[in-house]
Amino acid sequence: MRPSESEPATLISPAFRLEAVEVAFGRSGPSRRSALTIDRLEIQRGRSTGVRGPSGAGKSTLLAALAGLLAPITGRIFADDVDLSRLTPRRLERWRRTKVGLIFQDFHLVDELSLVENVLLPLRFDRFRIDDAERERAVGLLARLGLADVARRVGRLSRGERQRVAVARALVRSPEVVLADEPTASLDPESATLVADLLIDHVRDSGACVVIASHDAEVLARTDATLQLIDGHLVAEGRS
Amino acid sequence: MNPLSMILADLRSLRWTAVVVVVLVAAAVASGVLLDVQERAFRHASTRAATDFPLVVGAPGSQSQLVLSTVYLRLDALPLMDGATIRRLEGDRRVASVAPIAFGDVVKGHPVIGTTADFATRRGSVAVVEGRMFAAEGEAVVGSAVGMAVGDEFAPSHGHGHVTAAPSAADLAEEARHVHHGVTHRVVGRLAPTGGPWDEAVVVPIETVWETHGLGDGHAAEGQIGPPFDAEKIPGVPALVVRPQSFADAYGLRAELRAAGLLALFPAEVLVDIHAALGNAREALEVANAIDAALILLAVAALLVTVTTLRRHRHAVLRAIGAPWHFVFVEVWAVGAILVGLGCAIGCGLGFGAASVFARLLERMTGLTIVLEAGGAEFAHVAIVFAVGAAIAGLPAVIAARRVDLLSE
Repeated sequence: MRPSESEPATLISPAFRLEAVEVAFGRSGPSRRSALTIDRLEIQRGRSTGVRGPSGAGKSTLLAALAGLLAPITGRIFADDVDLSRLTPRRLERWRRTKVGLIFQDFHLVDELSLVENVLLPLRFDRFRIDDAERERAVGLLARLGLADVARRVGRLSRGERQRVAVARALVRSPEVVLADEPTASLDPESATLVADLLIDHVRDSGACVVIASHDAEVLARTDATLQLIDGHLVAEGRS
Repeated sequence: MNPLSMILADLRSLRWTAVVVVVLVAAAVASGVLLDVQERAFRHASTRAATDFPLVVGAPGSQSQLVLSTVYLRLDALPLMDGATIRRLEGDRRVASVAPIAFGDVVKGHPVIGTTADFATRRGSVAVVEGRMFAAEGEAVVGSAVGMAVGDEFAPSHGHGHVTAAPSAADLAEEARHVHHGVTHRVVGRLAPTGGPWDEAVVVPIETVWETHGLGDGHAAEGQIGPPFDAEKIPGVPALVVRPQSFADAYGLRAELRAAGLLALFPAEVLVDIHAALGNAREALEVANAIDAALILLAVAALLVTVTTLRRHRHAVLRAIGAPWHFVFVEVWAVGAILVGLGCAIGCGLGFGAASVFARLLERMTGLTIVLEAGGAEFAHVAIVFAVGAAIAGLPAVIAARRVDLLSE
């Protein structure tokens, strides 16, 4: 479903299209709580999109739904014009593995692995050997994020360092889609700039779709488009 | 797919759980290995010790006691048979050799056994490694484990002694009270090890034992030792070891001697009973051990499932970032299988180690040389524990590999 390289950007199908989507937590009945309601939304490839909103607005829920980790109770989410709800679990898993880079708010690293092994982990899911170029790319990503001692165990890192490792892990496959949940929340301004640079460069260099949920105004100011969520509803959509 | 780094990471993070699993599995394996190795080694050692005793003859009484006293030197007072039996067997063309065995004396805890020089060297198969074979009454050769030197002189005491080399102070005091005054033996040689209880014995000419107990010497002429025993009246003996010319002769002699009212048996007949009793005990212990192993493996399964459940977030993250189910399955299964395998390996070592300790104790108690060897039973036992353990490790792996909602964790 990828557009041909010669197609002009304006005619390229969006990376994501949401139609009448509602995501809710809890079982049906009174305990069910609606977390996200979006009538229609398109998120373009080749652009960075920021998602702003107060805590609890539904930013993380939106990213999880885009990643196929949460299934909407109503509506459909299309990725590359493919309805995610129609994919088998195995195909959804493969799509996420091959096309999507996830940056979690809580990093979710493996403490017992080194920095570079954490970054290389997604590559090990479908191949036995990691070649030199891939290892160099992983080390290069860490270096760009200011992490030089790549053999250290992640369990001994500060939150800021762990966050940067999580960013490198999400980018190691050069994914077509990056879904970043508060990627700079634990970083000092200098490191936040490094992370933002890396994500924006990834859009520019590979034409990827990067969606960043953040409270960081400086990071959001650098995205090509922004979405404003309040109480699970999309209240504003526009360019930064 | 290459989950090796995650397997190693899991092993690092689960170190205390890993220790518990390995210890539990090792305990299950070690007890089984100990049982199998020890029982087989004792069976082989006891059989080996009896090979030099083709047909044992004694006065009517207990078969077991005759074999235990003659072969294993677990000495007890045996009724004496008529010494004429020796002469009768010496003249039988079906008999390759006949050796009288007499006991009743002890020195420093070691039994003093009277027999012929030919039997003392097992018809030449046991060498005299130091000094020479006895050639006259009053001379003795010692077994390889006897703590006496060539040239030592001793006065035997009346009693049976033990096949252990370390008599207690009470034993020695008892010996001193029953010493044969005026009787002195001199050690003239040391025998090579046989691997049996006779290594603990002090061996003297049969005539010495007879003379010490005032029974004569079994010869018409003075100063002669060994066959033929040609006195008008040959002293009684507790046991004879007969070496028949052939199997047929062995069975024929056994039947004839029994018909004559004597006890005649192949030691294997008693060993079969002893081994059967041992086998029954082993079977009962094996059942207990199997139940023990099953319970341990159940505990391991419960532990691995619990730990996996506690770590479901970790596996959910892996699935979320794209790990296929079989990646997580192999990772979790391999960790369990490695721990079970490690437990099996350590259990083997512990089992053999414990068997070795028990073997040394048994050697001290019986005088037998217990040689431990790995056999099919241990491998089967370990293989079963590993196979079941590896299969059990699949349970937490299935739980971990199931699709898990990361956001609900």
